[in-house]
Amino acid sequence: MFLGRVAGTVWSTVKWPQAQGVKLLLVRPYRVGDLPPGAAAGAAGGAPSEPTDDLVVCADILDAGPGDDVIVAFGHAARVAVSEKLPPGSKTSVPIDAAVVAVVDRVEIPR
Amino acid sequence: MIRGTVIGQVWATRKARGLDGQTLLLVAARDADGRATGRLVVASDTLDARAGEDVTVAFGSGARNVLRPGPDNRDLLCDAAIAAIVEGAG
Repeated sequence: MFLGRVAGTVWSTVKWPQAQGVKLLLVRPYRVGDLPPGAAAGAAGGAPSEPTDDLVVCADILDAGPGDDVIVAFGHAARVAVSEKLPPGSKTSVPIDAAVVAVVDRVEIPR
Repeated sequence: MIRGTVIGQVWATRKARGLDGQTLLLVAARDADGRATGRLVVASDTLDARAGEDVTVAFGSGARNVLRPGPDNRDLLCDAAIAAIVEGAG
């Protein structure tokens, strides 16, 4: 998993039928230098600086929006998360390999 | 797996059900020479690792095996987990 900030959304009309209605977000991962040590950084407080890494496209089941700090899971874990919101039959066969699994309240980095 | 150093912890109340009860730590990855690569990983912790400790992080099914030995663990929401607290590396 990684910690990142939602930078935008992606939409498409032609896509895999197994996951119709799954929203897609663009998330930029934080790197070590983006998070200052010391003060606890809240998602709303804006203490972390802007993340600097390349964007990742993620499925979103938590209705996160631009500016939110989120945790993104990859691979099977992403499909497990998305399948929580899909009809039972579709389960973990959705063609997704990254998903927002949490909207971050607080990041604490001791000095 | 990667080697890294625990630098902090992340809290979230709005999250996928599968994350309930998991402790999520921030780990700064290190390269072969022990230098920080800049990459940050969020990993589930069952070993009570603390900030400043060096750890190994397993990914994928290896990470699920940390939370619950397989093969019947594909229901778990986990793609990275702290597998060991490192005491030394040469």
